[in-house]
Order: sequence, then structure tokens, then C-alpha cells
Amino acid sequence: MSIPLVIMFAVTLIYFSITERFRIFVNLIIIQGVLLFALAFLELKTITLSTLLFVASETLVFKVIVVPYLLLRIIRKTGVERVFEKALPSFYSLLFVTFGLLLSIVVSFSMNTTPVNMIYFIVSLFALYTGLFLIISHKKVFSHLMGFLVIENSVLLLSMAIGSQIPMLINIGILLDIFVSVLILGIFVMRLKQYAHELTMLKDD
Amino acid sequence: MIDANIILLSFFILSFLAALSIALCHNKRFARIITVLFVAAHAGFTTYTWFHPGETVLGYFTFDKIGVLFLTILSMLTITTVYHGFIYVRKNTPKSFAIYHTALIALVTAMSGAYLANGMTVVWIFVEATTLAVAALIYHDRTAIALEATWKYVFVCSIGIALAYIGILFLGFTVQNADLLSLSFSSVTGIARLANPLYLKIAFVFVLVGYSTKMGLFPMHTVTVDAHTVAPPPISAFISTTLMNVGFLAIFRVYSLFSSTSILPFMNHVLLLSGFLSLLVSSGYMLKAKHNKRMLAYSSMENMGIVAIALGIGGIGYYAAILHIVLHSFTKAGLFYQIGQSYKVMGTYQLDESGNYMNLYPAGATALLLGLLCITAIPPSGMFISELLVLKSMVLQKYYIYLVLTAVLLCFVMYALLTRVLHIVYSQPRGIKSELHERVNPWQTVTQFILFGIVIFLCFVQPIAFRQLLEGIVSTLPK
Repeated sequence: MSIPLVIMFAVTLIYFSITERFRIFVNLIIIQGVLLFALAFLELKTITLSTLLFVASETLVFKVIVVPYLLLRIIRKTGVERVFEKALPSFYSLLFVTFGLLLSIVVSFSMNTTPVNMIYFIVSLFALYTGLFLIISHKKVFSHLMGFLVIENSVLLLSMAIGSQIPMLINIGILLDIFVSVLILGIFVMRLKQYAHELTMLKDD
Repeated sequence: MIDANIILLSFFILSFLAALSIALCHNKRFARIITVLFVAAHAGFTTYTWFHPGETVLGYFTFDKIGVLFLTILSMLTITTVYHGFIYVRKNTPKSFAIYHTALIALVTAMSGAYLANGMTVVWIFVEATTLAVAALIYHDRTAIALEATWKYVFVCSIGIALAYIGILFLGFTVQNADLLSLSFSSVTGIARLANPLYLKIAFVFVLVGYSTKMGLFPMHTVTVDAHTVAPPPISAFISTTLMNVGFLAIFRVYSLFSSTSILPFMNHVLLLSGFLSLLVSSGYMLKAKHNKRMLAYSSMENMGIVAIALGIGGIGYYAAILHIVLHSFTKAGLFYQIGQSYKVMGTYQLDESGNYMNLYPAGATALLLGLLCITAIPPSGMFISELLVLKSMVLQKYYIYLVLTAVLLCFVMYALLTRVLHIVYSQPRGIKSELHERVNPWQTVTQFILFGIVIFLCFVQPIAFRQLLEGIVSTLPK
């Protein structure tokens, strides 16, 4: 049951690389949040009520409601609806991301020496690659934020690869999300709106 | 005799209450009193850890040698930073004053936790906490440039912390049947020897890259340079030293854990590469630096590069690495305090507009020259000893190419620092006539003389207890 969900997660990552509208970015983050909750629910073998509540609040409340709400506020405040400028055209982005998927598969299979859930491992590595790629290939701060959120999701997915045996690690990963995302989004929403395009004041002359 | 658990717990609770009370009560006098009490409590707690070496407290913290050493440096620099902070923010509004000191107390507490933490996940949580606390301090001046630096710092540090967490997860793959507590450093040492080397290598690389955001090593150095440039000078002094030490300690602990495994040569190569690239990049940027604080920020990166190289070489390089980071902490803190004062006197951080400092403020100029001697490792600077040991370790380990390249790059660094600082002290500003912007009381420079005095003292005399402490720290590493 979990394999189709993980594959859907991978598909959202490919979509991330080619989309140019910020609202679609937000929708993809929502979809990833829902998928992560479903995966966490299915994978946690010895789930307790407290763990379930923790995971549900992290994925459903936080990733599906709070973060998208803040992101949409940013879009409204800045008035920037789409990516006008990328370092790479969408076609090449797609090629790079597809290469990343193949690389993740090769790396994962070459490391197949411990009992780690392979499909989770592949997709989480792919998500890490995609997140970093989004940050590097886009010029706008909003896109960088998307890259960071994708990296966060990759961390959560990687936690799940071993999470059924060390659930506490998932909780620690969740702390990362809550602390940092709220702070980053908070700063962004409150203060950064006038610099939504590029941040280039600090540099070596 | 009070239980160590109660002492540590009390320290954390009191720190929390101190920060909270200052945040809620926007009163400068009250904030000053509480901050001074906090500094005293921190010094008391540090002293307590000296008398309880190796003790594990609350299950997650151990008063081990390196933790206590860095905690002592933190405690000493907290005193000077709070002192200079009082001067820096005295004209701020009560609210701004309160936010500054709340964040400072939170930062000191988080760094103390990170130094003493005895497990990977606990270190990680406290490192995360330092990012949150320091963000408020970098943004203290509320300028557009401060906002940009804060945003970049928080963003890149968050990515770094996420990468470090992935490193911890990779380590988690090797200890699948253990619970979280088994990720304590002592228990992982045994497990690491039996673990798959590939996973350990990946874990190390992720941890190194992740915590490089704190240590300021290549390739995650850019945000630390920006943050150190923009933050208030006392905070730049603090985060250029004690916070970089947090990043170093996190990497050092993982390095120590894996040093008994087959991946030791791999780790050494990675550290050498990262350290050397840090040295290369920082020396290049220092040669073109036009901003006094930015120059010091790159100097911090350069020194962290030297520390990484020393660690990567091994042998006496381990001792040199620890000695160098200790001495750098005192030197760089003093220099940042001094550059902060030079801004008050000259009204600028721009190199071209700076100059004639010796006439404008002789005590400050003398301190700056003393700091220059210390940071460029010219005798009688204690850093001369540590850098000499690094070069000696290169000869002993037959890293001749690294030796030559490092020596050449250090010459560039010396040239950059000497020309710029001597210009500030003796030359007339280019284009603009120099005039006294604001008078500084020479007593405010005493702390810098004390810090540089410690560095010079350690060139001539290294007390037996201090040497034994450093030797004890590196004794578990391979010879």
C-alpha cells in the first residue's frame, strides 16, 4: 500500500522541477504533506496514540495547513505569482531531475547492505537532490524556500526508512520542521516582502 | 553535596527564567541586573564542571574535558561580550535592549548545552537552538542588510542542520536495534567499529557539511561571513569564536567516534580538502576585502581552515588544532571588540574611509596592533606555537605539498591583514579627512588587552594543567 504513495511523492518532485507558478508549488507541498502523513501512519508498526498525534500534527496540521497558509500569504503580499527567471529552462531542469532520480536509484542499490526500506531510501535521496536543485537553479527567494521545504520532507521520509524501529528519531526530525519553518516563514512573511526577488546587498566588492 | 543533576537542571531553568523575565519586563536596569546574575551563574556552573570531570548528568550531558574547556572559554567571553554589549545597546529602546539580552542568554545557554551534550541528537538539538537565538542578535540593528544577513544565515544554517540530521540518520542505519540513547558518543564508538564503512563515510560527510555552517568551513562559509559582518560587534566577537567552536566540537566528536574505524584516512582527506579550500577562499577574499569586519570574518574562516587541516593531518596536529582554536577564540573576540570601537571613533567600517586611528584613539590603536600580532601568529603570539605545530605535523606526516601551499596562503593572509590594519592605524583615510567621530573611554579597551595578554602568555608559558587538559582531549585519537 505504501509503495504507490512513495511513487506519487516522487512524481510530485518531478513536477516541482518544471512548474513555474508559485501556487502550484504550494499545492505540491500540500500533497506531499498528505502523502507523508499516510506513509507515517502505514509504516509505524508499533504506533502509540501520542506518536500518532505527533505525526498527525506535524504532517496534517503543519505541512498541509499552516505552511501553505503562510506561503499563500507571502504570494499575496509580494504579488509575485510565478518564476520569471530561472538559471535553467524547464526542459533542462527536467533532464537534471530525471538524472537525479537515476542517480538516487544507483546509489541506493549500491548501498543495499542493511535492512533499509529501499523505496523510501531512493525517494528520500531524490527529494534531497531535488530540493538542492531547486535552490541552485532558481533565483527567487520564494523558490529557495520551496527547496528547503522539499529537503525537510526528504528528511522526514528518510526518518521513515528506519523510523518503524526508531520512532523517536521521527520526533526529533519533526522538531526541526516546527522550529525552523515557523521562524523562516515568520521572517519571510513579516519582513522580507520587499526583497522577494533577489537578495544581493551583501557581497564582496 | 548537591547532586550534579540538580545543578545542571537548575542552570537550565534559571537561564530560561532569566531570559523570560527580561523579555517580559522591558526595563534596562532590570535587564542589566538579571544579565549580570546570569553571567555569574554561568561562571559558577563552569567552575562546578571543573570539579566534577567526566560526570554524566541527566543522561544526556557529560562534563568531559573538551566540553569543559570550551565551556570555560564561553564563560570568559560571555563576561566580555556582556560588558561590550551593555555599551553597544545602552542607547537602544528598552524593548530592543530586552530582546538583545534575552537572545544573548538563550544563545549562551544553547551553546553550553551543545558543548556538554553526550549524544549526536542532543548536540543537534542545541545547535538548532543556537540558530534561533543568534538570528535575533544578527537582526538587532533592524536594517535591510541585517535582515538579508539574518535570512541567509537562518536559511543556510537550517539546510546545514537538515544535512547534519541526515548524517545522524545514516548513523542510525548502522544502529538499528538501539534506541535513541544508544546514539550517545560512548555507545556509538563500539557500534561504529562493526558498522558498514560506506554508511559511516556518508554520515561523516553529511555531518561535516551540515555543521560547517556553524564552523564556517568551505563550502558553507558564506553565511557565517555575512552574519559576522552585519551583527553588532560584541555579537560578531561571540559568534566568530564560541559559536564556531560549537561547529568544530560537533565535527570533532563525530571524528573521534569514527577515528577507530577503517574510514579514518577518508575523514582525514575530507578534512584536509575542506580546510585547504577554506584557507584558499578566505585568503583570496581577504586580499580584496574593503570592509574591516568582513576582513575579520574571513580571517575566522581562514583559522577554521587551519584547524581542519591540523585535524586532518593527525599526530601532533590534533594538539595543535585544539590549541589553535582556543587561542583563536581569545584573539578574534578581542579584535572584533576593537573593530567595534574603531567604528565609534572613525564612524566607518570601510577600509578606504578608515585611517589615522593612532592619533584619534591611541589605546585602541595599540590594542589593534597587538591583536594584529596575535592573529598573524607573529611571536610573541601564542598562535605562533599552534601554527608552527601544524606546519611541523605536516613535515612529520610528509604532507610536503600541503606544507608549501599552506605556507604560501598564510603569507597572503599576513600580507592582507598587515597592510589593512597598518593602514587603519597609521595612514590617512583615502579621500576623506579623518576626524574624531565619538570618544571612547580607554578603560573600555582593557578587556582587549587582557584577551591578547592571555594569547601572548600562552606563547611563553603553557601551564601543566592546561597542557594536560589538551593532551587528555587528544589522547583517545590515533597516534
